Amino acid sequence: MAIDLHKLTIQKAHEALKKGEYTSVQLTQAYLEQIKGKNPEINAYLEVFADALEQAKQADVKIADSRNKNQDFGLLVGIPCGIKDNILIQGHVASAASKILEKYHATYDATVIEKLKKEGVVFLGRLNMDEFAMGGSTENSAFGVTKNPYDTSRVAGGSSGGSAATVAMDGAVFTLGTDTGGSIRQPASFCGVVGLKPTYGAVSRYGAIAMGSSLDQIGPISQTVTDSEIIFNAIKGKDIHDGTTIDTKTYTPKNVSSKTKPVIGVPRHFLKEGIDPAVMDAFNASLESFKQKGYEIIDIQLPNISYSLLVYYIIMPAEVSSNMARFDGVKYGLHKDGETGIQDYFETRRAGLGREVIRRILLGTYVLSSGYYDAYYNRANAVRTMITTDFLKAFASVDFIATPTAPSPAFKIGEKNNDPISMYLEDIFTVTANITGMPALSIPCGMTKKDGKDLPIGLQLTARHGDEAGLFTIGKDFLGE
Amino acid sequence: MITPAEIEKLATLARIKITEEDKVSLVKEFDSILGYIDQLKKVEVSTDTEGRVGAVKNIMRPDEARQISKEDREGLLSEAPDREGDFIAVKKIL
Repeated sequence: MAIDLHKLTIQKAHEALKKGEYTSVQLTQAYLEQIKGKNPEINAYLEVFADALEQAKQADVKIADSRNKNQDFGLLVGIPCGIKDNILIQGHVASAASKILEKYHATYDATVIEKLKKEGVVFLGRLNMDEFAMGGSTENSAFGVTKNPYDTSRVAGGSSGGSAATVAMDGAVFTLGTDTGGSIRQPASFCGVVGLKPTYGAVSRYGAIAMGSSLDQIGPISQTVTDSEIIFNAIKGKDIHDGTTIDTKTYTPKNVSSKTKPVIGVPRHFLKEGIDPAVMDAFNASLESFKQKGYEIIDIQLPNISYSLLVYYIIMPAEVSSNMARFDGVKYGLHKDGETGIQDYFETRRAGLGREVIRRILLGTYVLSSGYYDAYYNRANAVRTMITTDFLKAFASVDFIATPTAPSPAFKIGEKNNDPISMYLEDIFTVTANITGMPALSIPCGMTKKDGKDLPIGLQLTARHGDEAGLFTIGKDFLGE
Repeated sequence: MITPAEIEKLATLARIKITEEDKVSLVKEFDSILGYIDQLKKVEVSTDTEGRVGAVKNIMRPDEARQISKEDREGLLSEAPDREGDFIAVKKIL
């Protein structure tokens, strides 16, 4: 039988596997066919794993075993997924879409991978991204841009562009991405799918190739909020290998409203300019729909929010320059010979790293260098605390904060290539969640027509630290799940 | 304004070879980016900053050598660009 992969969810696939409508091998085979058809144009997958069907066979054994014992099996058993190329799967290449790691094989499993393996998922392959997750369009991949399935002349967003495009082209049930300044939520918005950036520390970063260590989080991209919830619950938790991970007791989120429906805060003062009118219309319509469902919408002030992007573009490159120092051509990865040992570093890094990565390393080196450290890095950290305090104050009177996910729908490939600032402005609404460490969810909230093509628009909801559960509830309510 | 010499110094510190052409474009890009982030200097900041992110504090562990399996060691060594037996080979340093 032909399996209908269109917008297939974990629960639907699980039910079908349970009823024996198809096996995991058949489902995996269907996705491999879909990828074969779609990927040459979209370029979401960098590699499809040769052992995908073998993994599916093992899942089918588990399923048959459970069936024989009249037991239920886990929701994720036999579910095919794709993984962003900066998350390590032992034995597979993990290139971070960079030439410097093109031939590097992961020597261990990331914690999230170990957890998903225990759940019994099928890894279909690794997904394209901006090199080392630095970018907002996947144009910085060393292996070609990922195109938006809604309009292939446009970007899929980034840096997890491959992860979002894969879900949008029905190339996997779900995917994992990483989010340092919006890299899960912005591509999810551009591709009309759901993306979650969890609370800082909710998901272990062990085995994710680091970019900005105080900002990075791994999170799910999926068709539905329910699916993101299932995946989040499977990958979260305290991890001995990541000292920044938190447990369920770290934060105790509580609704402020005594009524049944929560309160949504909107920082109107921050939504006055630079936003595409279609995005603003979809955003206002979403608020209207929340109102009709009984939510209270109130205006809030976040006095320092306009500094978020400045703070981000100091802290992030500073952390990038430190994290990228490990790529030296000695222990693993590309090696280029120079005349002396030290020249090897210069040649290797020159040959292996792309323009944007080099730019950010140098910028980070600049803001951390003596004489500038106080003016940039220390100051940025102080303002970071001020922004977080603003959000915490706002959360005394609201349960969620709503903004558009991105100021525009997907832009044209090449449109922002020569203007780093205009590319950086893409992150204006998303970076705050990384700066404050709060969880944020992007959900599809409308469509707009550009050049005759329908393009998705995303709505972003931010919650208190540790309140992913609240985000899932409101997200499901909005989408009618 | 940043100078090509300053860019060169940053590249040296960061161990990246850059060309004269790179310097020209990087000067331009740096001016644009620094012009943007320099707005931060106008912000009035309160001095009390936490200096850490998230709810958890540093976790210490004893500074001890750990044994890893032969397979893991081989896995790690096999990723090295150059090796001699169980060592990673590099150019002569002294």
